[in-house]
Amino acid sequence: MLTDCKRLGLLVLLGGGVALLLWYLAPWAVPHRVFGGEGVLLNPFGHHLPQGSLPQGYRDAWLYPVFYLSLAWLALSLLLPWTKAGPRGLYWAGALGLGLFLLTYLLFQGSVAQVNAGAERPLLRRYSLGLGSYATLAYGLYLLLLARVFSPGGLALLVRRRGVVVPLFSLLLASLLGGAIVAVLKESPGEAATWREALMLKLDLITYTYQLLYSPLVSPSGFLQSLLLATPLIFTGLSVALGFRGGLFNIGAPGQLILGAIAAMLVGVYLPGPRWLVLPLALLAAALAGGLWGAIPGWLKARFGAHEVINTIMFNYIAASLFLFLISANEYKFFGQTLHLPFKYPGYEARSYEVRPEARIPHWTDLVAPGGELSFALPLALLLGVLGYFLVRRSLGHRVLAAGLLGALGYGLGGLLPGPQVAFGPDLTSVRLNGAFLLALLALLFFHLYVFRHVGGYELRALGLAPKAAEYGGVNPGRKVVWTMFLAGALAGLAATHYVLGGGIDEYRLKQSLPYSVGFDGIAVALMGQNTPLGVGLAAWLFGILLTGGLQVNLQLGISRELVAVLQALIVLFIAAGGFLPRYFTDPLRAAEVELKAEKEVKE
Amino acid sequence: MSLDAAFLTALLLSTLRQTTPLLLTALGGMFSERSGVTNIALEGILLFGALTAAVVVERLEAALGPGPHPWLPWVGVVSAMGVGGLVAFVHALVSIKYRADQIISATAINLLALGAPSLVLTYFYGNATSSKEVVNRLPLLFGLSPVVYLAFLLVPLSWWVLFKTPFGLRLRAVGEHPEAADTLGVNVYRMRYTGVVLSGVLAGLAGAYLSIGFLNQFVRGMSAGMGFIALAAMIFGNWHPAGILFSTLLFGLASALAIQLQGSEILPAVLVQAFPYVVTVLVLAGFIGRSRPPAAVGKPYEK
Repeated sequence: MLTDCKRLGLLVLLGGGVALLLWYLAPWAVPHRVFGGEGVLLNPFGHHLPQGSLPQGYRDAWLYPVFYLSLAWLALSLLLPWTKAGPRGLYWAGALGLGLFLLTYLLFQGSVAQVNAGAERPLLRRYSLGLGSYATLAYGLYLLLLARVFSPGGLALLVRRRGVVVPLFSLLLASLLGGAIVAVLKESPGEAATWREALMLKLDLITYTYQLLYSPLVSPSGFLQSLLLATPLIFTGLSVALGFRGGLFNIGAPGQLILGAIAAMLVGVYLPGPRWLVLPLALLAAALAGGLWGAIPGWLKARFGAHEVINTIMFNYIAASLFLFLISANEYKFFGQTLHLPFKYPGYEARSYEVRPEARIPHWTDLVAPGGELSFALPLALLLGVLGYFLVRRSLGHRVLAAGLLGALGYGLGGLLPGPQVAFGPDLTSVRLNGAFLLALLALLFFHLYVFRHVGGYELRALGLAPKAAEYGGVNPGRKVVWTMFLAGALAGLAATHYVLGGGIDEYRLKQSLPYSVGFDGIAVALMGQNTPLGVGLAAWLFGILLTGGLQVNLQLGISRELVAVLQALIVLFIAAGGFLPRYFTDPLRAAEVELKAEKEVKE
Repeated sequence: MSLDAAFLTALLLSTLRQTTPLLLTALGGMFSERSGVTNIALEGILLFGALTAAVVVERLEAALGPGPHPWLPWVGVVSAMGVGGLVAFVHALVSIKYRADQIISATAINLLALGAPSLVLTYFYGNATSSKEVVNRLPLLFGLSPVVYLAFLLVPLSWWVLFKTPFGLRLRAVGEHPEAADTLGVNVYRMRYTGVVLSGVLAGLAGAYLSIGFLNQFVRGMSAGMGFIALAAMIFGNWHPAGILFSTLLFGLASALAIQLQGSEILPAVLVQAFPYVVTVLVLAGFIGRSRPPAAVGKPYEK
């Protein structure tokens, strides 16, 4: 068994080695990227220059002082663990690293600004730091992490936060493997003279892929688009998460979503009436239909013991058949007789009639700024709703009721207030984000209140953690299973409203292109979010970002968008394996042991 | 349409063809579950096997010229079996060594099988949905692929392996009562790895049959739930080769009927396609009470 000091030293050595290797092999900065993804790559050991020279007027002198400073910092950090400073010294080293990264960033930005200054059209538009600089940042963060873990009680802190550590570590592993896949599947653009240059091109290709994947974070339209794609994922993620909480595995979200879509279409297209009646009814129908479709496998499990996993999968295929039956043709032959259906819109494409305007979920611009005037309705509704929840000090039901009523009041009052004029560019208004996103946020709230604040949710969790104990405690397991599957199905069914009533893709119709496989993505969202509402919301947003960025990757690099699906699958696999982390990160009993030991340490 | 001899022959041949991938996969699932590991990843492994066979054969044809190479499809079959075993090994590693929830780990592999083929297809063929057609398909023997005969021969063979050999006894022991088997000196982990990998090899073979026996290319999502149906057939067949033969024949007949009915005016094709899935649900609901799974299935074993 190694002593803590030695182990720390070796871990620092390992991280430092990787950082040094990346400094040598990877580009530090990419001041210019030509079409096709090839970059002007700067590295202190020799650049890669596509046209043979640096971009006009660019000066790379800033790179060398930064490089020598980094080397000095690396040497310092490698020595620190062996001195008396120990973990505490590493805090300083880590902070120094972050400062060094900031310096690199500023100097690089300065060097680019110098070229662009004065020019009418900036010469360098597509520029970014490279993996070499990111290695500085990563090594700095790594040192901070090590410093915390090797301080008294540090490991216990990580173990206590294992709900965050395991998904994030799995994301990291999946990203590394995804990078390797990109490196294998995609030839690097540009010609290399030496093997170092070839590696530099590969590493730049991987970095560029991930920069594109996360690019929605830095553009307003990409940001909205990521929320748009996150909306159905929140619903399906919650659907799967609710099942997991109750010890059930709901792989049936795609089928439940299809049934929700059919019901929303039926009400939205064929029920006339005013908006305040039809829209809620259409939403309700979607939830109800999805819920019933989920409840059937639940009932089959409760009544006959048929495993819900295979059954929910079968119900996905059956739902897909039903869906095609309704909208792909209007005439069917049954035993020689002809059946006429009214649902398919005339034409080649399999799609329904358009949803009536009264049943449509409003576009985000109509919620935020109806008629071009910024509206106070939503902020005021939120404010009064929160006030109502926290001011009423009675049972949960009262609080939710008060919040709902005050929220509605706030919405009405806020709508009356005059607001300033705003105008959004076409890149923003063309994003089809709609009110379904707000519904998704409400669904997150519902999940939290039901699962963690309501008796029903308590029973649900008890059943999931210890079925026998829950049964002795008075839970009727059969009924609970059916009810849980109903709620899970209802959440998945609501996801369909985003597409059919909210026009989330292109039209306010039920179409054959309905992307019901987002139901499967819900599995990754639920696992990544560890079945908590906050986690599910963040995980759905993360995947929304990656899916939006995946489009860029496809456009710019010609790598299939399915790269994101592969990343999701790998994340699920790694989370299932506990991120390949030591046992105390997955086993609650061992986790408790670690924490007890840490408490003793801290007291000493 | 009348029930004449030609129709019955066509139905029989179609049933045998439809049964083959189900039978192979269900027998594979049986070896895995008998050892104590659930393997719903078989659906994904079918796809990986189908993809491997189609791509390997097509690539070799591109390298060697199209001309008839009778041995070529068998290279595809063997590589599909290898890849199937490899993917199953990943499932085994994660669920045996890292004690993952076996259903979640298998679902991850199924999700991977939805996305990964597109990356490979884009790399080789520039489109994300299907591979180029191959010339050298599996040959026909009296109107059926040799894989069909192999699948049916595997039924008595796997019965013999499972119930008449020391290996089979150990495999079953490990799935029923791993602690007891361990006490008697059986290496629980090794038996489980073997069972899971064997299931992957058989599902890989079934996948190769789909892409280069049944069709002549890989098409996205071509397994269409066959892996799951095979698992239902395995449950219905009570984890026994003879029972599995019977239940997969039933499912094969359902699929064959669906195909035969598609051109007719008796029932609409889109509804008939759902027939095997409905049968699966009914089978799972109606008969599961009678069957008994291996006692330790789905539970990670710890020394």
